[in-house]
Order: sequence, then C-alpha cells, then structure tokens
Amino acid sequence: MEFPGRDPSQRVLALDDVSLDIRRGEFVCLLGPSGCGKSTLLNIIGGMLTQTSGSATVNGTPVTSPRPDDIAYVFQESTLFPWFTVLENFRLALKFRGVEDANWRDRAMQSLSAVGMEQFASHYPKQLSVGMKQRINLARGLCVGSEVLLLDEPFAALDEQTRMVLGEDLSILLARRGKTIVFVTHSLAEAVFLADRIVVMTARPGKVKASIEVPEPHPRSPDFMLTDAFQDIRKELYGLLRDEIRQTVAAMRVARDAQA
Amino acid sequence: MSPNKIRLVRFLVILGVVLLWEFYARVFATSSLSAAPSQVLAELWPKVLGEPRVRAAIGVTLIELIVAFVMSVVFGMLIGVLIGMTDIGRRSFYPVVLLLYGIPQAILLPLFVLIFGLGPASKIAFGFSHGIFPVIVNTIAGMRNVNPLLLRGAAAMGATRFEQLRYVMFPHMVTAVFTGLRLAMTLTLLGVLLAELFVSQGGIGFFTLLYAETFNPASLIALILTLALLAIVLNELVRMVEARFSRWKE
Repeated sequence: MEFPGRDPSQRVLALDDVSLDIRRGEFVCLLGPSGCGKSTLLNIIGGMLTQTSGSATVNGTPVTSPRPDDIAYVFQESTLFPWFTVLENFRLALKFRGVEDANWRDRAMQSLSAVGMEQFASHYPKQLSVGMKQRINLARGLCVGSEVLLLDEPFAALDEQTRMVLGEDLSILLARRGKTIVFVTHSLAEAVFLADRIVVMTARPGKVKASIEVPEPHPRSPDFMLTDAFQDIRKELYGLLRDEIRQTVAAMRVARDAQA
Repeated sequence: MSPNKIRLVRFLVILGVVLLWEFYARVFATSSLSAAPSQVLAELWPKVLGEPRVRAAIGVTLIELIVAFVMSVVFGMLIGVLIGMTDIGRRSFYPVVLLLYGIPQAILLPLFVLIFGLGPASKIAFGFSHGIFPVIVNTIAGMRNVNPLLLRGAAAMGATRFEQLRYVMFPHMVTAVFTGLRLAMTLTLLGVLLAELFVSQGGIGFFTLLYAETFNPASLIALILTLALLAIVLNELVRMVEARFSRWKE
C-alpha cells in the first residue's frame, strides 16, 4: 500500500508485503508502533481504502468498497450522529445497511442492553460521556449483525479504568457471538487480554513481524491479567515492539532534521 | 443577576425612554412633525388599523414579503448546495456570489421598478434580491467543516451519497442555514419596504408617504410601529422553527 503524496518526494509506502489470514470467529489484534500502517491495513480489510497492489478478500470475495453486510466498523472516536438520539442512530445504521426490519427497535434495544446502555436509548450523544458513546458505538456495530467487526483503537480516547471495564465487557460479549474481529491497538495489555492472536507489525513500511497466539478461552476474567502466562506474552510482545518503536522514533528525528 | 431582576431593569429603562419621548413631544415638539406615544396609541385604533385600506396594504406587503422570503430560501439553498457540494463549484462560483453580495442593491432599485413595474412584482423581486444572498452564503458555509469521521462512519455503514447528504450534511448545516434564514428575513423585509417607499400603489409605502406628506406624524408612527411588530413576530417565528431543529445541541 503506497500513498502518493503531493509530489514524489512525499510518497509514503505504508504497508509492504503483508500477508495475513484470519480465521472465521477469530479475534486478531494488530499491534505496532505509531504510523506502522495498522489502521491502513484495517481500512483495506474494511474496503475504506483500496490497496495499490495485492488483494484483500473477505469470505472469499475481494473487498473493493465498504461491505456493510459483512463488515461493521467501530472507530477511535464516536461516529454517532449528534443530531439523532441513540435509538435513531441505530435505526439509521440498519437503514444504511438496507435492513428494513420491523423489529428494529427490539433489535436495537437488545444490543443496547448487551452493553448496559438501554436506559440511554432516547438520549442525544452530547448528553453522554466518551466511554458511554463508545459502548453505544460498539453496540451499534453488533446490532447490524455483520459477521466481521473491525475496531480501530476503539478505546484509545478512554481513561485506563473505563478501558479495562470495556475490555472485559467486550470479551464477555464476543465469547457469545463468535464474530470475527480485527482490533487495532497500541496497548500491549489490551492486546493480550482480548486477542486470540496478536499480529505484531514492524515500523513503516509495515510488515508482519510476528504472530503470537494467546491460548486462553473467552470470556476472560480480569484475573487472567495476573497470571504468568499473561505476563510472559506481554513481555514477549514488548521485546518484539521495542526495536520497532526505537526505529520509528529515529525515523521521526531524521525527518525533523531534514526539514530543519 | 436573577432573570427577574434583569427583566425589571430592562422594563424600567424602556419605560423611561417612552416617558422621556412623551415629555419631549408634549412640551417642546411641533405637533405637525412628531407625536407623543399616547397620541400614537390613540391613533393606532381605529384610525390606522381600523381603516380597511390600511389593513389591505399591510396584507399586500405581508404577501410580498412571504413570497420574496420563500423564493429566497428555496433558490438560495438550491444554489448554495449546488455551489458548496463540489470543490470546483466553491472555488469558481463562491467568489462571484460574494462579489454580487457586496453590491449595495439600493442603487439597482430604479432598475427593478423599470423591469418589474410599479406593482407587487418589483417589491418581491427587490426583497428576493436582498434575501437570497445570505441564504446562499450561509448554506455554503454550513457545508464546510462537516466532521469527516461522521461521513466515513456513514460510508462504512453503507450509506449512499444521497443518504450521506440527507443524514449527515443537512443536519450538520442546520445551524448555519438558520443564521442565513434569520438574516434573510430581516433583509427581505428591508428590500420589500425600500421598494414600497420608493414607489407604491397599494402597499404600506403608499400610506407612509401619505401620512408623512399630510403632516400626520401620529398615524405615521402608528404604522411604523405595526411594521416593527410584524418584523419581530416573523423573526421569532424563524427562531422557533430553528429551536425545533436544534434540540440535539443542548
């Protein structure tokens, strides 16, 4: 994946020779230093970007544009429309997907109660906290019923504690539904706690550096974080990432000096 | 300060001004050139508003205003969306709109009368020429700065171009568009009244001129008060509609 930039000198090779197979029902975390192309990869899988070379397929069909029937997105920041209530937002999501469901209200309420937000159905997004909004974004992603869920650092804007609680809830939720999930994150602990498999990426241009399994069944309890197995994987990830982060920082310094 | 106190202060100041005016008009002023508030009120009914021809004139002016305003809104928003929708439209035509907006339309008034005649058509056209520009400009302004993440989110959920326009762009534009509508209401009224005053056969302009030329300040001020009241009511109407569309912003 290459971004052209305004002139050839600004051309950026974001991803290089990435090959990744994700099984049905698998929870995969993409982990890597800032700017390594994690989100770019996610956008290619979701059809929000078209790769400059290579191919991406979901369920055997190449992805060239958003496919709301198969793929739902949750972004880093809330994409709830501020001018509609929570419930109206759900209705619209179903409408965009082309689902004319007479039971849309029940369906939306079910998803909302799955994340414990059913009492906020008629609130406007402005009236909710950042954490509540992300819960609802997650619920909306579940509500549309697509098989694949792409999460682009959905908890990045939250504080540590809210993040942990949401992570736990997510683990419980997903254990029940068997969705295929790709989750982009910066957080080592989040990755180990949530993922079945962690894909570690290199500094730009992003490549797959390692792929690490987390053999712990869902739903996972917070106690999992205290186990040696958890700590070992976390350490291993840290070792893998450290060099890449250094490299990213060094590259940033070079770019800055070149500009000065 | 408590809201009640604020209201009290406001009321007292206005009362003071009215009393001063009353005092000035009764003691110093020439009665053929100005009138006291009490005389104006006495004149308002039945002499001014009780007169069927005046009421008909107010009706004519009101219709001119409404037609001009509706035309401004419909065409203004249409043109605004067309220009604001694409980068090329905004770059090539927005400057033209701003340039036209900058021309003081008053100098074109004789031209409007020449083209549209002495009747209501010239008033509507002139009001329209005032009202359409703020609608266009604010519509274009409203289409900018929409949160790209919301558009991306909508696209990811499978929204078509039209659905993105309908459910993301338009609601986003509401605030700016209503700013335009309120401005348009004021300016359309200005345009219609200017044209009325310039030349009029049956509208309000005819009677203001009549009262002024026959040295009848009480009737004149009564009519002006009526007009001012009308403008305030219309503006409040637009504001009420706006409030209905802005509940999500609390």
